[in-house]
Amino acid sequence: MVQFNLPKNSKILKGNYFKDKNESQNIKKINVYRWDPDKKENPKIDTFEVDIKKCGNKVLDILNKIKNEIDPSLTYRRSCAHGVCGSCAMNVNGINTLSCMKSHKDIKGDINIYPLPHLKVIKDLVADLSTLYRQYESIEPWLKTKEKKSKNFEINQSKKDRKKLDGLYECIMCACCSTSCPSYWWNGEKYLGPAVLLQAYRWIIDSRDDERKERLKTVADKLKLYGCHTIMNCTNSCPKGLNPAKAISSIKKMLATN
Amino acid sequence: MTENQNPISPHLQIYAWHISSLLSITHRIAGIINFLALILMFFWITTFSFGESNYELFLIAVNSFFGKFILVGFTWSMSFHIFSGIRHLFWDLGYGFEIKTANISGILVVLSSLITTIIFWLFGRGII
Repeated sequence: MVQFNLPKNSKILKGNYFKDKNESQNIKKINVYRWDPDKKENPKIDTFEVDIKKCGNKVLDILNKIKNEIDPSLTYRRSCAHGVCGSCAMNVNGINTLSCMKSHKDIKGDINIYPLPHLKVIKDLVADLSTLYRQYESIEPWLKTKEKKSKNFEINQSKKDRKKLDGLYECIMCACCSTSCPSYWWNGEKYLGPAVLLQAYRWIIDSRDDERKERLKTVADKLKLYGCHTIMNCTNSCPKGLNPAKAISSIKKMLATN
Repeated sequence: MTENQNPISPHLQIYAWHISSLLSITHRIAGIINFLALILMFFWITTFSFGESNYELFLIAVNSFFGKFILVGFTWSMSFHIFSGIRHLFWDLGYGFEIKTANISGILVVLSSLITTIIFWLFGRGII
């Protein structure tokens, strides 16, 4: 049964308020979701006052500033800081995005930062994506060829066929799209979700792959694929500007026309 | 295996609405309302067989302010569901997935459903 409300242990309480000590003029309030697995408490929202003039442009810069200067216990994933690795995916002011690509100058008023939605929280802004990775594994994201062909020859691809992968191969699996999808919230165990389906399509449409039929057969399941109801939160949130909704529709179309 | 007792991160509570997500849920709600509208239509037909006085009772109910509100609402939910359904058919054909196109088509659906409702009632009342 779908649960729209948060369970009792997930209800968010008011947390601490960290006042800026230098009495600076350019204060922005940053509300951050906190949960510590070592304390047996509910999650809470801590508010940090940050001098925005003494901080880099991106939301990730703010988080780094908080971690370095105010509260070193703040936990979040980050690595490349250039929108390539996909580690710092989180929910900023209601929309999933990479915090290293989101400029805080675009946001008027307070900034609200939450972990990716509807996941088990591990600590603070770090959430558990293992279901998604298991689903990714289930679509077998590697090139599969009939043995003979691959033994002695390089498999060539025409420019036209290569072009079909544009808008798909750029995906960095940051999970912004999947965790923005209400359908994935309610059926996350069965529905593969936009990120994994976009990847599935990337291998289905690859001209060098020999198992298109089998691949289509694996995803052609009531909930695995057809859990998509074209809500389009995925496309709206993708920080790389890709279109998972269109990729899913392309799979559906292939199944209907083949 | 012990169940994971970690909290679930907030979802519906914090996620921002887009035109597309708002219309998606409205489409579903309109579908449910249409189902209720059908029940009312069957009720209307049943009153035929129960004789004139029953039918008149139905007419009084429907002609009250609340009754009219319900009927106008049904007209809107029907037309919204139809236009939104056409939008879904275009998606099924593979068109209109760009964010801009989807936003424009969404606004078109809302506008045309409202216009259809107004025209339907103006026509039905003999004003045009």
